[in-house]
Amino acid sequence: MPDDVTPRPESAPAEAEIEPILTVPPVVGAPKPNPMLVVDDLSRSFGGLRAVDVDHLEVERGVVTALIGPNGAGKTTLFNLLTGFDRADTGSWSFNGEAVVAPSPDQLARKGMIRTFQLTKSLAKLTVLDNVLLGAPSQVGERLSAALFRSRWQHQEQANTAKAEELLERFNLAHMRDDLAGTLSGGQRKLLEVARALMADPMLIMLDEPMAGVNPALAQSLMGHIAQLAFEGLTVVFIEHAMEVVTGISDWVVVLAQGRVIAEGPPWKAIHDEVVIDAYLGRRRAGAGS
Amino acid sequence: MDFDIIFGNAARAAFGPEAVILALAAIGLNVHFGFTGLLNFGQVGFLLLGAYGTSVSVATFGWSLWVGVVVGLILSVALAVALGFPTLRLHAVMFAIVTIAAAEIIRILIGSTDAIGLTGGPLSVSFDAGAFYDLNPYPDGPHDRYGVGTFEFTGQQMWVITVGWVLVALVSLVVFLIVRSPWGRVLKSIREDEDAARSLGKNVFSYKMQALIIGGVIGGMGGVIDAIKTSGADPNGFRPQVTFFAYTALLLGGAATYLGPVLGAILFWFLREWIESFLRQLSAEAWLPGAVADFLSGSEGIISVAMVGLTLVLLMLFRPQGITGNRTEMQLDAR
Ligand SMILES: Nc1ncnc2c1ncn2[C@@H]1O[C@H](COP(=O)(O)OP(=O)(O)O)[C@@H](O)[C@H]1O
Ligand SMILES: [Mg+2]
Repeated sequence: MPDDVTPRPESAPAEAEIEPILTVPPVVGAPKPNPMLVVDDLSRSFGGLRAVDVDHLEVERGVVTALIGPNGAGKTTLFNLLTGFDRADTGSWSFNGEAVVAPSPDQLARKGMIRTFQLTKSLAKLTVLDNVLLGAPSQVGERLSAALFRSRWQHQEQANTAKAEELLERFNLAHMRDDLAGTLSGGQRKLLEVARALMADPMLIMLDEPMAGVNPALAQSLMGHIAQLAFEGLTVVFIEHAMEVVTGISDWVVVLAQGRVIAEGPPWKAIHDEVVIDAYLGRRRAGAGS
Repeated sequence: MDFDIIFGNAARAAFGPEAVILALAAIGLNVHFGFTGLLNFGQVGFLLLGAYGTSVSVATFGWSLWVGVVVGLILSVALAVALGFPTLRLHAVMFAIVTIAAAEIIRILIGSTDAIGLTGGPLSVSFDAGAFYDLNPYPDGPHDRYGVGTFEFTGQQMWVITVGWVLVALVSLVVFLIVRSPWGRVLKSIREDEDAARSLGKNVFSYKMQALIIGGVIGGMGGVIDAIKTSGADPNGFRPQVTFFAYTALLLGGAATYLGPVLGAILFWFLREWIESFLRQLSAEAWLPGAVADFLSGSEGIISVAMVGLTLVLLMLFRPQGITGNRTEMQLDAR
């Protein structure tokens, strides 16, 4: 379908070669060339409300996918289901080619699926540095048998600290490394949580409204950093409810409304989709009218 | 009114075996509650099993005292596992309820008349702790005393408290070493937000279980010291208030600090004994109106516990972080 291989407009980050994702037709449930996540018939209801009801969704590996949709669309619930923090009523999904059975959050995280939370979960009584160090995967010192002997974990801890400091530097938090995380502002806590998630060396990072409350300049640099990581192979899914901001920083956009995927495609296409505009405007009109 | 005697009594209580036992109970609770956020209201159950494991092994089965000590500690581990498996995945409040109930059930079973053959039932159990006192390096003649003025111990007491405080020091050191490690960082993250820990790949259940076992065994050590000190065990010594005294000591000293539970236990016994001795002397004063003296005499112990409780209330109001705690850390709770 050659007319789907739309050239990128000026605003999109220029790249040397055309990514495989650009060959994917912008239709709901479209198969991807190299999917990291494949979701089938996933549903979750709260009482009579169907919060999530996804027939088929694939998330391409190594690109930035934005999950957008009006408030209450089910974006966070979808994240909760996929990461094992909530139980689906029906459905199945696979991560990195492996079917996810009996999902448990910590197991999925150890396999490389790391998520952040819309309501930040920075650990207030740990220092900023300790928050990030907690993200480090397979630290031997986290095993009781090794914990007693500093020599067993000290080297790894030093290496982790160097890496953590680099991340803090990137997110403008280095000067606060020894402060308790509880003293940070809301936006800084969001950044801290992203830094901590990146510390875990994820294959797939799922960010729930990472830019909410973060000052715009910093948000830009945050997403720039994330785009760079995607370029290096990280798969990124991030939630955002304002559709305007996703254009410059995502390769693919999935639009959710009332639990269902109503559109997906490259950003310049997806957000101009009739259905999407209706979903957003419909919401706004209803909101303004009541 | 003889303040020398009051002070002597208080100081003896503050450094005597009771304070050692309380310190161990509180250090264990600190691992549970202070560092991991586990609301264990049944700490006394671990002390009970430590004490009865030791006593019954020697008195009923005729094993050596050292085997008894090991049995007591193994039973503490078993209690932690038995409590943890069904409840650690539940809400913190459920865990609290189950722990307090379990400890009380064990105490009632052990103290029931049906258990007389095994545990001595309501009659308590006693054994010969000679194997421990044989090692006593302190001369223990009828006139040997150690200390200054009214603050003095017998040779036997000196041996118990020497071993006891060395144990407290060692246990505190081990707790310090494991909690300042990455393992301890995971515990603290669980205390604050289990889901955050899970989202970073930590097996929360496993860490809670490890903390429960470690804190339980430390409590069990307190029970072992108790059994050795009294050469036996009595079900009445393991009522739920023991757990609450341990919480008082922990909060007095400062939860989630390394020395807090130890300082708290010392202070708890010092205050409690000082007030009790003071009241005892006061009730004997001639100038006291008869009605007041009648009210006081015989109730000194209860009143002194109430006063310690009042101290705790005041402390929570004016210095909620305890003596050694960190105020800024405390205030982050409010955010
Ligand atoms: N735990 C819950 N119990 C009941 N209803 C819920 C729960 N979580 C989410 N919902 C409802 O499900 C819908 C989707 O919520 P959510 O996934 O948070 O939306 P979004 O993140 O897209 O704003 C909303 O209507 C919300 O009220
Ligand atoms: Mg949301």
